This record gives sequence, structure tokens and C-alpha cells, in this order.
Amino acid sequence: MSGKTLTKADIVDYIYEKTDKSRTEVKVMVESLLDIMKESIKKDHALLISGFGKFEAYDKKARKGRNPHTTETITLPPRKVVVFRLSRKFRAELNPDE
Amino acid sequence: MNKSELIKTLAEAKNIHVDEAAAIINSFIESVKKALADGDRVEIRGFGSFKVKDYRGYVGRNPKSGVVVDVSPKKLPFFRPGKELKEYINQP
Repeated sequence: MSGKTLTKADIVDYIYEKTDKSRTEVKVMVESLLDIMKESIKKDHALLISGFGKFEAYDKKARKGRNPHTTETITLPPRKVVVFRLSRKFRAELNPDE
Repeated sequence: MNKSELIKTLAEAKNIHVDEAAAIINSFIESVKKALADGDRVEIRGFGSFKVKDYRGYVGRNPKSGVVVDVSPKKLPFFRPGKELKEYINQP
């Protein structure tokens, strides 16, 4: 673990090196791509990126929760959550000795 | 939606060639995968963050047959959706 963090700016730089677009153009493309990804997760409940993994949105039912500080019981509303399931290929790449 | 649909949608939205959209998406994924393979964190504001967790190996048992098996150590990435994505998904 090197403790580094890849940010959106780093991703833009990485793509910029590989295309003939300006950095500003690449940034606009990346923002647009992220919007499309979000829309797809919401609309289709799933976004499948082969070789990487799948983003899935699924429904969580309402449940009773408790404020641990005041011990007050509250009902948490039903909500949607997003999970990432990695592909076999990417799993194998992360674990070459398996 | 799958990757080729994602490529097509980006190409149409930004009025660029599909090859160009494919190059952008492939480089995007490649950069994220490389960082995670190096053990780095990935943080995409508004979307979410990825972190690789290390799991130690252990001696497990097949619950059905009772056969002892060695489970080798492994690395698995975890995704935490960002605040913006969570809110967006939950909008009616």
C-alpha cells in the first residue's frame, strides 16, 4: 500500500496523454461520462463494464433504526444503494498468484 | 447499459467519433485499474471512491462435505458511492 490517491484530475491527465484533445476538452468528456454512468445506474439499475465490474443499484427496505446517542427509535426510509461487483478478469489481475 | 452502449452514448452526447469515445472510456478504466493494482485509493468526486482491501489466507472448510481447504490471501476492491451519487439515485 503506497497511500496515494488517484483523483479525477489524475484520470484527466492520464487520458490527455493518450488522446489529441486538450486537457479542458478531456475534462468535459470525463464529466459527461460520469453523468452518463450515473444516469445508467439509476435508469437501468446496472452498469456493466466488461473487464472491470458491474455497478448495481438495488432497493433497501425501510427498517427500524436507533440513534445510539439518544436511544431514540426512528424508521429509516426505504432507499436505493449502489454496489460494485468486480469482474472475474479484474479479480484475477489483482490476484495473479491465485 | 454495458460498455459498448456507454461508448455509443458518450459519442452521441459529445458529438465525437465512437473510436474516440472508446479511447476515453478505456483509458479511464485503465487508470482506475492501474491505481488499484498498485494499492492506491481512487477518489472520483461526485461519483465515489475505490479502495483495495487485503484479506489474509485461512484454512476453511467446505460446509457441505467438511473437506478442509486452504483459502489463499486475496485483494478485493471496494466501492463507496459518493454523496452526490447516493442523492441522485434516491431522487424520485
